[in-house]
Amino acid sequence: MGKAVETDKQPIIQVTDLHKYFSTLHVLKGITTEVYRGEVVSIMGPSGSGKSTFLRCLNRLEEPTSGSIKIDGEEIVDHKVDINMIRRDIGMVFQDYNLFPHLSVIQNVTLAPVHVRGTKYKDAEEIGMKLLERVGVGEKAKEFPSNLSGGQQQRVAIARSLAMHPKIMFFDEPTSALDPEMIREVLDVMRDLAESGMTMVVVSHELGFIREASSRIFVLENGSIIEEGDPDAIFNNAQQERTKKFLSMII
Amino acid sequence: MLSTEIRQWGTRFGHLPWYRRYEFLFPALVVLLVAVGFFMPPEGRPEQFFDGATILLAFVSFLALVLIVITDREKPVLLKRAASLSLIALFFLLFYRYSGTQWDRVRHQFFNLQALEGVWPMYLTGLRFTLQLSVVAALASIGLGLVLGILRSLRNPVLELFIGFYIDFFRAMPLIVSMVVVFYALPFLGINLSAFWSAATSLILMNSAFQAEIFRAGIESIPKRQIEAAKALGLGPMKTMRLVVLPQATRIILPPLSNNLVSLVKDTAVAYVITYPELLTQARHAVIWKRNPTPLIFSMFIYLATLLPLTRYTRFLEKRSKRWVKR
Repeated sequence: MGKAVETDKQPIIQVTDLHKYFSTLHVLKGITTEVYRGEVVSIMGPSGSGKSTFLRCLNRLEEPTSGSIKIDGEEIVDHKVDINMIRRDIGMVFQDYNLFPHLSVIQNVTLAPVHVRGTKYKDAEEIGMKLLERVGVGEKAKEFPSNLSGGQQQRVAIARSLAMHPKIMFFDEPTSALDPEMIREVLDVMRDLAESGMTMVVVSHELGFIREASSRIFVLENGSIIEEGDPDAIFNNAQQERTKKFLSMII
Repeated sequence: MLSTEIRQWGTRFGHLPWYRRYEFLFPALVVLLVAVGFFMPPEGRPEQFFDGATILLAFVSFLALVLIVITDREKPVLLKRAASLSLIALFFLLFYRYSGTQWDRVRHQFFNLQALEGVWPMYLTGLRFTLQLSVVAALASIGLGLVLGILRSLRNPVLELFIGFYIDFFRAMPLIVSMVVVFYALPFLGINLSAFWSAATSLILMNSAFQAEIFRAGIESIPKRQIEAAKALGLGPMKTMRLVVLPQATRIILPPLSNNLVSLVKDTAVAYVITYPELLTQARHAVIWKRNPTPLIFSMFIYLATLLPLTRYTRFLEKRSKRWVKR
């Protein structure tokens, strides 16, 4: 159970005392943690616990109020930092896919490589096609997103992120908007990705996936990490009363 | 066969009230037409009460027939259209016969082809100037409107103050006033603009204000998560706007924008107050030259011929924008 982590002990994400306020609402209350290269970290917690906000702070889709985040040793909570340079190395998959509806599937995948990395379209297309094959929607490359099922759209969204060759992938509840029969196909792709050694941070409610694929689990409640550990430690041997209570509610 | 067809009517239309059946409608129409043929008074404004009443009665009974047809759910659409059209035709026919208008004088005054002799080249020049002004004003106002719209969609309070004022001011300012001010008042400040550039400036100021709102609405209609997806891929704000937001906003922007352009072309006619030699100015010159208002009437047809394709295109865009609804 759980994924063996081949750790060189250098954190790729290092978060120190991260706070986030939405006006007066204190959402993140001093989170300090790190994620190592090749890890698959799952974040669990009741709704409103700040899971998504935490994840979105890590690539500054939300501006942290205070604290420090280092990605690959580089501080990103700093207005002098060109955040786009950081973001191009971090893939992000959203709950409702957010594909660009005016572009075909292959154009969705090649947009960022061509316009951000400056890759030639031919090369980007070639890589894009390979990625689409890999996530199993190769034959839909010329279609528009509106003609695809939710599961297919989400897999295209994953391919779109992978096309930038990210160092880290963030998944923000990637299966929450999907019909049950489509969840599997997306989780399979994610499992595949985890096995390939990608560093992943996943906010999810898919216990099966979390149990099998993650190397570590953060349990968030009320804006702080109340417990972290490998799947075995969390699911079978939780130390905190609140973790047990949360798990008993969802299992 | 026809006879079986007719026999089936009894069952097919049996549920209709008597006045909605063809067995009533057709004879009624025939009776009406025959009666009209016999009893209608002679041409000219009716002198006696009886004559007026006959005309009115004929029209009202035909109106009743038409209303019966078009309010019936089961009558074919083609029949309903024919009925309404013939009602309109009847109205004009009655007006033609009984309004007492001296039609030959109308024709001489307003549709006098002789008064158009030598005017066509003037129309052509006028149309050229109108189109020149329209194209320059349209392109410039789209450019300015786009910039203002994007800036306004940023919701920066300081920009908002200035741009909001600009937009409100020039939307409220009557075009004719701003043209006169630019052409006749600005020279006192040392700014001398030709008639063309005065007209263009006024048109650009007003239309860019309207268009800024169109662009802003289009941009703001794009969901925030689209922008977040673009950001997460590392696209900067300019590229996000150019590659993700604007292409999607186009569908929403195009119909009202082309509407605005249609009215821009019409508004060039206001430039006649500052003697810009566009179509209306030419037509008015021709009216004075020929001492006959026909050239003015025909300039109307030229405006229509220019703008009808544009309004048609607008309608086409509106239909198309509803077609590929997202997701």
